[in-house]
Amino acid sequence: MASAPQPKYLRVIDLGACIGCGACEAVCDFLHDGRPFIKVYRTSLGLDIPLSCFHCSKAPCVEVCPTGAMTRDQSGAVYVEKSKCIGCLACLYACPFSIPELEPVLKVSSKCDLCKPLREMGLTPGCVSMCPAGAILYGEEALVYEAGKKRIAESMAKARFEALR
Amino acid sequence: MDFMNFAFLCRSKPASRNLRVAVIGAGPAGLAATGYLVCRGFEVDVFDKQPLPGGMTVFAIPPWRIPKQRVLEGVKRLEEVFGVRFYTRTKVFAGEVRHEEGDSLVEKSVPLEQVVNDYHAVLISTGTWESKIPRLPGVGSEGVVSALDYLYRVRVFELGFTASPPPRSRRAVVIGGGYSAIDAAEQASRMGADATIVYRRTVREAPAGVYEVERVKREGVDFVELASPVEVVAENGRAKGVRFQRMRLGPPDESGRPQPVPVEGADFVLEADLVIFATGEAPTPPVSRSEDVLRKLGLSLKKDGSVSVNKIYQTSNPKVFAAGDVVTGPSRVGPAVRSGLYAGRFVENWLETQLVKAPLTAR
Repeated sequence: MASAPQPKYLRVIDLGACIGCGACEAVCDFLHDGRPFIKVYRTSLGLDIPLSCFHCSKAPCVEVCPTGAMTRDQSGAVYVEKSKCIGCLACLYACPFSIPELEPVLKVSSKCDLCKPLREMGLTPGCVSMCPAGAILYGEEALVYEAGKKRIAESMAKARFEALR
Repeated sequence: MDFMNFAFLCRSKPASRNLRVAVIGAGPAGLAATGYLVCRGFEVDVFDKQPLPGGMTVFAIPPWRIPKQRVLEGVKRLEEVFGVRFYTRTKVFAGEVRHEEGDSLVEKSVPLEQVVNDYHAVLISTGTWESKIPRLPGVGSEGVVSALDYLYRVRVFELGFTASPPPRSRRAVVIGGGYSAIDAAEQASRMGADATIVYRRTVREAPAGVYEVERVKREGVDFVELASPVEVVAENGRAKGVRFQRMRLGPPDESGRPQPVPVEGADFVLEADLVIFATGEAPTPPVSRSEDVLRKLGLSLKKDGSVSVNKIYQTSNPKVFAAGDVVTGPSRVGPAVRSGLYAGRFVENWLETQLVKAPLTAR
């Protein structure tokens, strides 16, 4: 079928770097006319947690979708093919993170597609672009794994350095 | 990506529409609007009173929260790739200039009237650069500062814009329960002070949240709840400590939080050589509050000093828009970015309708 396999892209939110400012939600809200697909929740502990689709590799929402509307693009982002969706929300029942939402006008499931239109123009998802804290890692899978590990290595080195006497 | 990509909607500068927009205040709201507008083909000039763009993200918020470089690199890209012109150290103001915090590095002042005349549309996003300090005996003493002023002085020194170091302290008392209080206390603590945060309600009501309070406690900051300052104790004009009134929680107030009520006869003094008030900030629009000036520009302010706007972030002068904390009062980066982006789009829509209706009359 497909000739050369496209590199898979990944978005990982580094909760250790997140300051809970809500810039990601703000951009997403703007790009989706008031219905953001990444939301920052104020928890009872006072810690703000951003939540959005994880684009799981074995996505239960894709598995259960009866019409094949919930699908995956070549970069690995899980998205909804609106014309195929019947709005049954089986995806929501299957999702361990309660991500999909019914779009009120078209009555179809809607969720983060990692800014498909922007990616098609060679740009990065809005939330990634505008995060002031650099808490959203995004890129080719292998690069994101590396970036995450480098951060951990840096903090381990820092901890050892601070313990130096 | 190692920078904030304010122009997240385009890869390069699109064809110019030859319409000039001025953004006053290069904080999160102003920069978000700028990023949107350049991607839509507008020529954007940005004015800011600081020597670098970025607003509070560069000149107040500590680098362990927001790495300055991410913001500054993003600004550089706006300049180099998208041709945005930044006029720094430039304070835009109409009427008699009011002193605000963070004014010390201003070199040039430009009348707001001139900016309004020179551009097809103007966005005001000047934020909240005025701290609200309760009028207590002794607050005029040396060694009493606002959290904003304190953090600003640390940042400006760090960036090398001044040779005068921020106030040093052995014992710092920070009054407040928000993020400014947390940041000021953590800053003082990292600079070698024994820092104590004192809040009039309990940690459960603190706007910064339980998590942040616990986090700085582990960094060595003390947290005292249920106490409200009544006086700064001073000797020879220098702060020596703060007298606090013990409080208890009473019935909820209009904000829905339990109101702190004084406990009769219970007060105590905390020794301090640096007293930091983190008791809120107020909007600082680029106009004086004089009726004449406001009428001439067609602007109006609300009682708290914020700029009043309609649903499309437009002031009563149709070509002047406003967004960010100068409209909403102190918030966070997120809400500022949100209103900046929407305001940018409304500026675009409004300019487009003007093109349809009649020739523009700028310049």
